[in-house]
Amino acid sequence: MLRVWKFVSRDREFGSLVATTVVVTGVLYIAVGGRMFSSLGISSMAIQIAEFGFLALGMGLAMLMGGIDLSVAAAAGLAGLMGAMVMSGSIIPITETNHMLIVTLGVVATLGTGMLTGAINGFLIAKVSVPPILATLGTMIFFTGVGMAVTGGNSVGIEVPEFSALFAGTKVSVFPLMFLVLVVVFAVVAFLLNKTVTGRSVYLFGENEVALRFSGVRTERTVMMTYLLIGLLMGFAALLIIARANSMRIGYGEGYLLQAILVVVLAGFNPFGGKGRISSLFVGLILLQLLATSITAFGLTPYHRNLMFGLILLIVMGINFAVNRTSRAKKLMPGVAAAPTTEAIILAERDEHIRQ
Amino acid sequence: MLKKSPFRMLFNRAMNPMERLLTVVIIAYVAFVSIRNPLFFGPQALFDILSSGAGLMILALGVLIVLISGGIDVSFAAIAVVASYTAVLLARALETDSLLFILFVSIGLGAVLGSINAIIVHFYKLPTLIVTLATASVFHGIMAITLGMKTFTQTDVPESMITFGRWYVWSIEAEDGSRTSLSGYVVITGFVMLVTWFILYRTRMGRSVFAVGSSEEAAKRIGINIFGTRLFVYSYVGMLSGLMGVMYWSRLYYINPDILYGFVELSIIAAVVIGGAKLTGGEGTILGALLGLFVYQLFSNTLVYLGLSPAWSQLFFGSVLLTMLVIIYYRQRQANKKALVFSTM
Repeated sequence: MLRVWKFVSRDREFGSLVATTVVVTGVLYIAVGGRMFSSLGISSMAIQIAEFGFLALGMGLAMLMGGIDLSVAAAAGLAGLMGAMVMSGSIIPITETNHMLIVTLGVVATLGTGMLTGAINGFLIAKVSVPPILATLGTMIFFTGVGMAVTGGNSVGIEVPEFSALFAGTKVSVFPLMFLVLVVVFAVVAFLLNKTVTGRSVYLFGENEVALRFSGVRTERTVMMTYLLIGLLMGFAALLIIARANSMRIGYGEGYLLQAILVVVLAGFNPFGGKGRISSLFVGLILLQLLATSITAFGLTPYHRNLMFGLILLIVMGINFAVNRTSRAKKLMPGVAAAPTTEAIILAERDEHIRQ
Repeated sequence: MLKKSPFRMLFNRAMNPMERLLTVVIIAYVAFVSIRNPLFFGPQALFDILSSGAGLMILALGVLIVLISGGIDVSFAAIAVVASYTAVLLARALETDSLLFILFVSIGLGAVLGSINAIIVHFYKLPTLIVTLATASVFHGIMAITLGMKTFTQTDVPESMITFGRWYVWSIEAEDGSRTSLSGYVVITGFVMLVTWFILYRTRMGRSVFAVGSSEEAAKRIGINIFGTRLFVYSYVGMLSGLMGVMYWSRLYYINPDILYGFVELSIIAAVVIGGAKLTGGEGTILGALLGLFVYQLFSNTLVYLGLSPAWSQLFFGSVLLTMLVIIYYRQRQANKKALVFSTM
């Protein structure tokens, strides 16, 4: 218990996020009752968190580097489409005996296309120096265009039932398999970011790209690796999307873009880069899903949901801004950005190492 | 031999590389399609592109001015829907059927919504993309909840708007009796382009917009009112959006607050960007935005002449967009390397 408390109280923003989530859960439990928190309710929320969580994690990684990835939904859509096409039997005919082979190929195609989209983004940003917002705007239109051209806008159905059963049907107690995969992926990404050189470079890149390059880090490689990882995450998101719907149609999930940005900012990520924690993002995902589910439970429309998400985004940004300003005033550094400088981070990390 | 190129005489500057590339793309595409399908090289295709592109060009001018000021706005389509839908409902409630009243309310409301954007962007000091993404869904959500999302078909759309939508400046009658007409919207768009050009290049406010976009700190130090400039930029975008909203419904004879918002924003930003406007601010030309939007319109309207379905348009536009981005930024990267500039921003 003490350990949990230490983990939560380590960071003020993380603490307040956890507190808000606990309060919202309590209020919803009283207001909506056990229906929302029955095992069926929890497993349906968990599968939605999983579907959306990969997109949000991709967006979060892009924002850590001071960029933004507008192409997340389009990339996941294209990856899902390629997987669905393989599993629709239109490329390799499906026979009685080769179902598992087709499923394997479908998974490979999905993840491979995901990584390819990441590689294209990474190439444009790292090797051509296109600003991330423009590069991903371009690829967003391009990926959607490829998907539209291949399918003509029609949906592609999956003809092997084993795939859906495996990825959307398998459950470990109340949690769907993909939710557990999401938890593992979050843990792995958190480990990579905090304990590996490349991971730390991601934060430092967001803080000060030029300083990082001058400290002898191959920044282009860092960018490339990060976008490849984002692409892989989009592949995972796509697997779940096509498993749930058992078909894929381009344009699915475009509404996730605002939500992805919302949850990342809600989790305390700095949109200018360099700051943000994966554990916060996970708590933010749970909070957002609770709110989204409660809106359905109260019988409100998607317009209410969008209004609420927009307002929350504005309010959270306002609070973050106010908090940063007061902490800046405390430090008597008028006019200096609130975020710590690169040197401060390096020094703090060195001190931490010495202490350990 | 001409002492000055015709372009220089008209615009008093050299054509920038992006404008030149876009012109090449347009000429090559038009030539290719005309050879494949001679029907294309008639008034029909051109009138289609101009008539449906006129409204979008007004939005593109708004996007351009925000990009020049160093921001990025994705709420303009939401503002267009909210302002014009509210104006129509108000006109119906007051039982007036005056186009001037609807335009006035819509443009005024657009300005108000735009200035809300400006206030939030200025005082929060946050990425404008995220702020306007949030305000767009707030504006649209408030409208949906308070006013409802009722659609109006032709019988319910105010008469004056339908007349406005059927305003043509030029009609050509073909031999078989079918008519192709050029919408009067091109006159409005031309006028708005002229006003925008005048503001940007001939007024103190316009020069402040460029200054703020190039370097906010430098602009502050020479005494430019940053907040005033932002307020102008975002409320001007709001006004253009309000105007465009009314034009859009008038031409469709149909009002549905669920379309437009969420569909056109990013494509229009992309069109302006391939016209050479930089996200870092301070750069961008009206001609570039026009050419960029023309390319977008070409791909969305004329693929049928090649026998392709409209589903291909995004692939074409996306490919051109990526190619242009690679050309612009690869060049800049090489220049930066030579000049030992290490910051990419």
